[in-house]
Amino acid sequence: MIELNNVKKRFGFRTVLSGVSFQAPKDAITCLTGLNGTGKTTILKSIMGLTPIHGGTITIDGSPLHHTSYERIVFVPDQLPMPGRMTVEGCLEFMSDHYRNWNPERAAELTQMFKLGLQDRVGSMSKGTAAKLNLLLALAMNADYMLMDEPFSGIDMFSREQIASVFSSELVEGRGVILTTHEVKEIEHLLDYVVMLDNGRITKQFACEDIRLAEGKSVVDVMREVYET
Amino acid sequence: MELLFNNRDPVYLQVVKHFKERIATGKLTAGQTIPSRRELASQLNINPNTAQKAYKEMEEQGLIVTEGNSPSRITGDTAILSRIRDELLTEAIDMFLASVRNIEVPPEQLLSLVQRRLESNRSEPSSERGGTE
Repeated sequence: MIELNNVKKRFGFRTVLSGVSFQAPKDAITCLTGLNGTGKTTILKSIMGLTPIHGGTITIDGSPLHHTSYERIVFVPDQLPMPGRMTVEGCLEFMSDHYRNWNPERAAELTQMFKLGLQDRVGSMSKGTAAKLNLLLALAMNADYMLMDEPFSGIDMFSREQIASVFSSELVEGRGVILTTHEVKEIEHLLDYVVMLDNGRITKQFACEDIRLAEGKSVVDVMREVYET
Repeated sequence: MELLFNNRDPVYLQVVKHFKERIATGKLTAGQTIPSRRELASQLNINPNTAQKAYKEMEEQGLIVTEGNSPSRITGDTAILSRIRDELLTEAIDMFLASVRNIEVPPEQLLSLVQRRLESNRSEPSSERGGTE
């Protein structure tokens, strides 16, 4: 489980996270949602140690974050971070050279599943293809937790469907996933937990099936209640 | 398997209902093996945890049995299976009655309206078939 306890973060005088606490279990898909600029990406970057926090604690399976934690967590940024001249094959080799937990068999499987051409260059890819390659680079790592920043934004319907199919496959089985999105509608039936943020605060968090069972509401219904009032 | 989910009912219960409907209509029969949790998740496009939860619920209701490591099967208990059809029908009728309650229609009139509707629905597909012949 990744656990945030009262996490605070400022950029200069601006407070971006004011005491955020939530738990993202392993073996579950947790979605951080909220309107733009509410601190979703900052939370993922804080977990990854990419940006310092100014208060509170973050633990993984009960232990404080340590450099070895990052062999167990992979981060999928919202844009593919590879140089434009690199080919798909080059990206895969780069990962294999630099990461001990890289799984080449799974990478080959995913290359086929996403129909990526090994000689295609990053710079000339469509947004959808780049998003799939970006996700592949993380899925092919043997890691317990995956953090994904906006895996669905700005890509076409078919690429979105392919990416969504990852969440119903063994690729996420036994792993903890935290993803951020502001487009919950199409994927809400795939989520286990939702954490709603507004202005650096958590406004509501719940298990999706519980809220359907207890209140007969969809995640989108709850979002309307929270953000439209 | 095609299943469209509504987002206001628990997904695992919708999966359970889907299985019940298939049992009630004879598409799944006593003792038949069903897909693994993982297969079901990718077939229905649901999260593997939800598939697991649906199977657990069906095991608790006695609809399916899982012995050791072998694949899960539809129960051989015919009493349970025959109860499913009644249960689905009762549930559907209750929903129908709840939705017509506000219209305050007398029971006799309601019954005759339902009957007329059934007859007109029955005649539509047959007239279609007549057209193609």
